[in-house]
Amino acid sequence: MVEDCNIKQMQNNCYRQSKVPDEFMLQLRVPGALIDAKWLDVIQHICQTWGNGSFHLGTRQTLNAPGIKAQNIPSVNDYIEPYLKAVECDLCNVQMETRNGYPYIAPRNIMACIGSVHCINANINTQNISHKLEKEIYPNPYHIKISVSGCPNDCAKAHFQDLGIVGCTRPIYDMDRCIGCGACVRKCEKAATRVLSLNDKHKVSKDACCCVGCGECVTACPTGAWKRPNRIFYRIILGGRTGKQCPRMGKLFANWLTEDSLLGMMRNWPKFSDWVLGGKPVYIHGGHLIDRAGYQRFKEFMLDGVTLNPEAIIAESVNWAETEYRSNIHVKPLSKHQTVK
Amino acid sequence: MENTSTYHLQADELDALFAHLEEQYLVYAPVRIPSGGRYAQTDSVLYRPVHRYEDIEYRERSTYPMKEVLTPITQTLFYFTEDQYQESKPPAKDLLIFGRACDINAIRIQDQIYLLNGGVEDPFYKRVRDRAKFVLMECAQQFEGCFCCSVGANVTDMHAMAFSFGERDAQIEVSDEAFRDYFSQAKPSDYSIRFPEENELKVNYPVIDRMDMANRLKDHPMWREFDDRCIACGSCTVACSTCTCFESTDIVYTQNAHIGERRRTCSSCMVGGFDQMAGGQCFRNKTSEKYRYKILHKVYGHDARFHTGPMCVGCGRCSARCPELISYPATLNKLSRAIEEIQPEEVAHHA
Amino acid sequence: MLENPIKPHACEILDILPQTETEWTFRVANDRPVRHGQFMQLSLPRIGEAPISASGFGSGYVDFTIRKVGKVTDGLFSLQKGDSIFLRGCYGNGWPLERFRNKHVVIIAGGTGVSAVKSLVDMMYNDQSYAKDLHLIFGFKNTCSVLFSDDLLRWKNAASFHATYTLDAEEAEGWQKGLVTDFLGSIPFASFGGDYECIVVGPPIMMKFTGLGLLTSGVPEDHIWMSFERKMSCAIGKCGHCRIDETYVCLDGPVFNYTIGRSLVD
Ligand SMILES: Cc1cc2nc3c(=O)[nH]c(=O)nc-3n(C[C@H](O)[C@H](O)[C@H](O)COP(=O)(O)OP(=O)(O)OC[C@H]3O[C@@H](n4cnc5c(N)ncnc54)[C@H](O)[C@@H]3O)c2cc1C
Ligand code: SF4
Ligand code: SF4
Ligand code: SF4
Ligand code: SF4
Ligand code: SF4
Ligand code: FES
Repeated sequence: MVEDCNIKQMQNNCYRQSKVPDEFMLQLRVPGALIDAKWLDVIQHICQTWGNGSFHLGTRQTLNAPGIKAQNIPSVNDYIEPYLKAVECDLCNVQMETRNGYPYIAPRNIMACIGSVHCINANINTQNISHKLEKEIYPNPYHIKISVSGCPNDCAKAHFQDLGIVGCTRPIYDMDRCIGCGACVRKCEKAATRVLSLNDKHKVSKDACCCVGCGECVTACPTGAWKRPNRIFYRIILGGRTGKQCPRMGKLFANWLTEDSLLGMMRNWPKFSDWVLGGKPVYIHGGHLIDRAGYQRFKEFMLDGVTLNPEAIIAESVNWAETEYRSNIHVKPLSKHQTVK
Repeated sequence: MENTSTYHLQADELDALFAHLEEQYLVYAPVRIPSGGRYAQTDSVLYRPVHRYEDIEYRERSTYPMKEVLTPITQTLFYFTEDQYQESKPPAKDLLIFGRACDINAIRIQDQIYLLNGGVEDPFYKRVRDRAKFVLMECAQQFEGCFCCSVGANVTDMHAMAFSFGERDAQIEVSDEAFRDYFSQAKPSDYSIRFPEENELKVNYPVIDRMDMANRLKDHPMWREFDDRCIACGSCTVACSTCTCFESTDIVYTQNAHIGERRRTCSSCMVGGFDQMAGGQCFRNKTSEKYRYKILHKVYGHDARFHTGPMCVGCGRCSARCPELISYPATLNKLSRAIEEIQPEEVAHHA
Repeated sequence: MLENPIKPHACEILDILPQTETEWTFRVANDRPVRHGQFMQLSLPRIGEAPISASGFGSGYVDFTIRKVGKVTDGLFSLQKGDSIFLRGCYGNGWPLERFRNKHVVIIAGGTGVSAVKSLVDMMYNDQSYAKDLHLIFGFKNTCSVLFSDDLLRWKNAASFHATYTLDAEEAEGWQKGLVTDFLGSIPFASFGGDYECIVVGPPIMMKFTGLGLLTSGVPEDHIWMSFERKMSCAIGKCGHCRIDETYVCLDGPVFNYTIGRSLVD
């Protein structure tokens, strides 16, 4: 007999409906994608005790236990409480009730590449900022996909999120330490945006405007003439998405934001969503909300009350290039327009 | 050491001491540079002027060597106008430089090149060297890759004072009379400064005593791997305590194209262009040849000229800075094996 | 302070004698002592320095025969008589003159290499009793690249000189066609009774094959002298650019006996 299940409710608690009636897959959030390895025992125990014995590595970096029977969900929720407390409350400072499992699925797990705890290319500690972002967006009924990449290589695919965060640096040049070897020039040409050149003083000139903020010059320099500043900077790539209708790559929204500017803006995200949806959360992703509101309104909401750092620059307008699976998919009867006024 | 006295100073006394020293000296010591490292969220430790005891980073080996104080990476030699070259100004004060035993021993090698080689004293080196005194930093702990003991660079007496560093205090051994007065009020101590006696890393530093052995080694297959491994970046030589090579360049001030500077800038045999003549001809095109040239200078070339052993003080900075994780001691071991390989062949050949 | 050994001094250009389109001889005021085979560092403020051999010298002047190949040399070619260039030096060991006295002297030079022996040849021309005789084999690429044409003629006519001039790949009157190495056989080494010295100077590849050719002709290694060219920056044994193992070309050279030169492997 098929049990009576409120699948919307269960989905909201991070249990995904299975094609096998009555079975669900738990998705454990791992904001920033790095946790103490001891938690692997927990997911293993869930898979083997309540799940079907298999384990799935979620595409958004969640730890998934497929094949959990609906009747076992309360036991699983009891069992994962310490994990929720440790990861959401302690690690990310999220204020939430942990007794009944996850309260919301809407803000998806914040993905991140490994970042500077390991990677030689990274500019930032991707976990730290993921944890801070988690606190801003979770729990919350509005859907948003965020990921954090440690550098403009963008291994965490910030270009395909509603809001993709990229860790950047603005290298500082100490001319007196430069031996004019050209290693940075070659590296920037090969790996980045070709903004460096050797000048007639046997030193380096930079077209700072087009620097992508990767820090490759710093890594390449044998003398430490290029150095990362003590502050780190963020870039936000906006409105990328995958999907059946009009997938698209995100576009540059903001550059050279400090952490305060970034978090200040993110704090405005729920307010923006709330306004677009008239206070009625539905299963629709952030990028579509921007489409409905228009970029200009989105920008106003996000910048509201935020004092940007002086280096910060913001897109005046954004033009996305969509892949339309139905040609002219944007052309429809006026009555079907969803634009919010 | 005879004629030394040791004092124990607390934080406030140390600050007073530094203030007093600064009246006569520009004091240089390793200083932590936050996020100065190659990778994000790593620091570097560089030589900088210091004003207080706590400015000194003594817990870590400096990323770049002490030589930068005497021979800065970029140095103005002359200012020129259309009709004359004028020497740049010498330093305004005497120099007091903090360094470890290896660092201070490296100065002997710098001296050989800059003061002895070819019987010509380099005036720009001499004018700072003559005014420099050294303060030994005791190595309370050693660092990854130190092998000073393998090359006899663990002990020195070329210092005026020696510091044993504490969090809020220091033991200071004074051996140079000129510094005795600074300590007239200080509390004597029976602490005695120790030199490193043994390193975890032991290197059997190769000895090449004949040019034909050096030349036979140049053809040895041991170098080939470095064509793929080494990126010829020069990080190792810039970080090396004992490398001395430089380039000279003239630059003009763009506001007035007739006046400018002749500068001396650190350079490296690992970097392309070092051996390049007009028309583009080079003598060591392959990276393996550049690497071989560097290693054989350390092991053979310098010793063959000055007869004072390795051009290396075992400070370990070259390996620590190599982005490709090429271990200099590992190369030395391979070189020792190559020498052993060649030697019996030669005996057989001569028989 | 003593005189700064690397401080350049302004010296007036007394004359400029174009030899070829890209090789000119600059006569520059100088009263510092010069030895045959030594070089000086020529500076142009703003541009830099270049080591150049003294191709001639006399009371109050020194000659440099300079090929226009890059920054500094380009700059020099834009100067005129009466302008200043900056000099420091002389540097290097120069030719071992005493070794040549009263011997048969063989000089094989190619291209700009001729300028490194020009003053030496002239010295022996002016004092023809200095050496027993002089055998010259000078090679150039073609007629357009010939240096010191008047001097070549003068030397050819000297009583105790035996001169062979070659062009790599051009026929011309008074010139042999071929590389200098093709003419080594014309030197009567057997008649010298062992009492001779050979000088070889030119591009590295030419020096290498000439050296080997001489050995094949039975010339003992220690009778061969060569002048080396390496990248130089300081000329006083500090910058490291010219170093080959324990040898600094700027200090210990540029002239090396073959016994040493052959073992200098970069
Ligand atoms: C001992 C000696 C004697 C020389 N004698 C003569 C001579 O008589 N006539 C002549 O025309 N040329 C001579 N040369 C070569 C001459 O020095 C170079 O052609 C010249 O340095 C090129 O300088 P540039 O700035 O015009 O060329 P660029 O190619 O612009 O040179 C850049 C820099 O590279 C260095 N450099 C380039 N080529 C050489 C080189 N071959 N040797 C040393 N350093 C180099 C110099 O430091 C120069 O500043 C001699 C070289 C040496 C070592
Ligand atoms: S940080 Fe900027 S200058 Fe440096 S390599 Fe990247 S793009 Fe080039
Ligand atoms: S890599 Fe460093 S030393 Fe080399 S040119 Fe660039 S800044 Fe200068
Ligand atoms: S070769 Fe390496 S270990 Fe030796 S002095 Fe140089 S940096 Fe130190
Ligand atoms: S190893 Fe290279 S850079 Fe270091 S002193 Fe020797 S030649 Fe110069
Ligand atoms: S630091 Fe390493 S990679 Fe760079 S030149 Fe030296 S050995 Fe080669
Ligand atoms: S030219 Fe500088 S060491 Fe010879």
